[in-house]
Amino acid sequence: MIDDIRVGSLIAYCSVKRGNKKTLIFIVFVLSLIFLNLVFLPSMIGGLSGLFTGFMQDYPYGDIVIEPTGDNTYINNADNVLKKVRAVEGVRAATKRVDVGASINHKQKVVGVTITGMLPIEEYDISRYPYIISEGDFLGDLSRDEIIIGAMIAGTGFGSEIYDNLGEVRPGALVDVTYSNGVKRTYKVKGIMEGTFEVVDLNALVHYKEIEDVYGLEGKEATSVVVRVSEQGTETFMKDKIREAGVNEQIFTWADKSESLIRQALQSMGAIDTMSKIVSLIVGAALVLIIIYINVLNRKKEIGILKAVGITPRSIVLSYAFLSTFYVCLGISAGLILYFTLMFYFQANPVVFYETMKISPTIDPVLLIQSIATMLTLSVIAGILPAWSVSKESILKAIWGR
Amino acid sequence: MIIVKDLKRCYGTGSTAVKALKGVSFEINKGEFVAIMGASGSGKTTLLRILALLDDATDGEYTIRGLKVSSLPESERSYYRLTQVGYIFQDYALINEMSAAENVYMLSMMEGRSKKESYATALEALDKVGLKGKHDRVPDELSGGEKQRVAIARAIAKKPDILFADEPCANLDTINSTQVLDVFKELNEKYGQTIVMVTHEPWHTDYVDRVITFKDGSLLSDEKQNQKVKLSSLGYGSCSTVINK
Repeated sequence: MIDDIRVGSLIAYCSVKRGNKKTLIFIVFVLSLIFLNLVFLPSMIGGLSGLFTGFMQDYPYGDIVIEPTGDNTYINNADNVLKKVRAVEGVRAATKRVDVGASINHKQKVVGVTITGMLPIEEYDISRYPYIISEGDFLGDLSRDEIIIGAMIAGTGFGSEIYDNLGEVRPGALVDVTYSNGVKRTYKVKGIMEGTFEVVDLNALVHYKEIEDVYGLEGKEATSVVVRVSEQGTETFMKDKIREAGVNEQIFTWADKSESLIRQALQSMGAIDTMSKIVSLIVGAALVLIIIYINVLNRKKEIGILKAVGITPRSIVLSYAFLSTFYVCLGISAGLILYFTLMFYFQANPVVFYETMKISPTIDPVLLIQSIATMLTLSVIAGILPAWSVSKESILKAIWGR
Repeated sequence: MIIVKDLKRCYGTGSTAVKALKGVSFEINKGEFVAIMGASGSGKTTLLRILALLDDATDGEYTIRGLKVSSLPESERSYYRLTQVGYIFQDYALINEMSAAENVYMLSMMEGRSKKESYATALEALDKVGLKGKHDRVPDELSGGEKQRVAIARAIAKKPDILFADEPCANLDTINSTQVLDVFKELNEKYGQTIVMVTHEPWHTDYVDRVITFKDGSLLSDEKQNQKVKLSSLGYGSCSTVINK
């Protein structure tokens, strides 16, 4: 076997060293494109799903979100929950929020929204709400009768033409809000927030105290308690720790929530991704096979000669396996160069989706390793199969075609 | 050394069947230089391919040094081709992407020798056929005669029991043919190499000990040669002399 490997590698080495360089470059180029096809689209889809999940963390759910159990509308003792959560080691910050339904009226234009009552000062450590104010200012601790409106409903941001909006409401304008319990309030618009994400830009924010007054709460209720942890990646572990700290409400990590919320979207993208991978693999496998098969057919006589002078079929098959592995290694290397060039380009110049969402592809090492392993496996099969079939032919047929 | 008994080879079946060999028998002794002659289609190449285990006989048997090689399984035939037989093709059959030395030493490596040892063996064989200093050249950089001498070096490097040559001068001019035949002659006379050569050319018989003639798949005659060409000084100085002339 060792002699087979030595002779197989010598034949492959000579073939590469003195073979047609233009053919080699062409084969490597095609293989690099096959590899790129395998990894590029999943990276873009990874970037898109990363963008969505990032939004989920930065706005509605934080790293961990605690919600009422069963049919309860509120966590009735949110302050107690907050106290327990904040005492857990590894929790960086936590706050409570109340989400309610309402309609906003401005100059005969009415838009239905979700209004989130929050504690503005605490939000600086929890979410990106305070940092996405495109016009005016964010709420303060003393903000009363003031509201922050999402750009899409204000009519100032992208999406205004798609969704109902209030017709270019600016900071300082007065809007009438009718809550789901029928209570009406007039608020001065303090700021417009633009998160380039519908979940944010179609909502409005007020101080927690406003909701407390409107709904007659006792200051302890919340529809959610949002938690940020000190170390990313520990969410599941922290979720268990919070549970152990005596919090009996429903506890979700951002991934749990994102999964259920954007599962459909991700599933669709996943299906596209899977289809694309399968098609790429089939096309890739066929191309590698065709390239090597043509190579083998062109050298059928040579294979016959090698057999005639006493080279074992195993050596011949191995030489083609080495050869195709070498081609594929070069193809992968060239593909990686192309891939990283594209990655850096798209990370510097993200793909703009929906005019506002900037999608940067993510580099997933696991995906790269999987794709490299797939290509290498294909190369070995593609190298072995045709060479094996030709090496099984009679010497006369291989050399003289009869 | 070689005993062939009632060897038959038939291509195709039924009405289209062609009997290339119709039951030939003969013996070749160790150290003989034998020419197999005959018109095209007489069965001489078929016989050579069967003896070198490149093809199978339909019937009959043959032995080499007592071993019934005609019935060996494929794995052993491959080993036999590697170690016991040297085969020289009409069209050289060199691997174009390998240098002269690589064409030769891959066989030694296949036999399990180290690369260094194989390389040394290859250089020795190339020297023997007058290609000293040309071991790094690929076939495209060699003349027809030189290519055939590389093919001879490849065949003799493993020191085979028998050297089979299928019209080795068919694609060569007279000067190159003489060089190749000189190489065979020297191998035969100096090293006692048994050689079986298929040829069309009557003047080639001047180099051999014996001529077996075929006609229509049957053995027509088997004659010893008395008038043999003499290598003036032996060795490949004589080749150079021919080239210079």
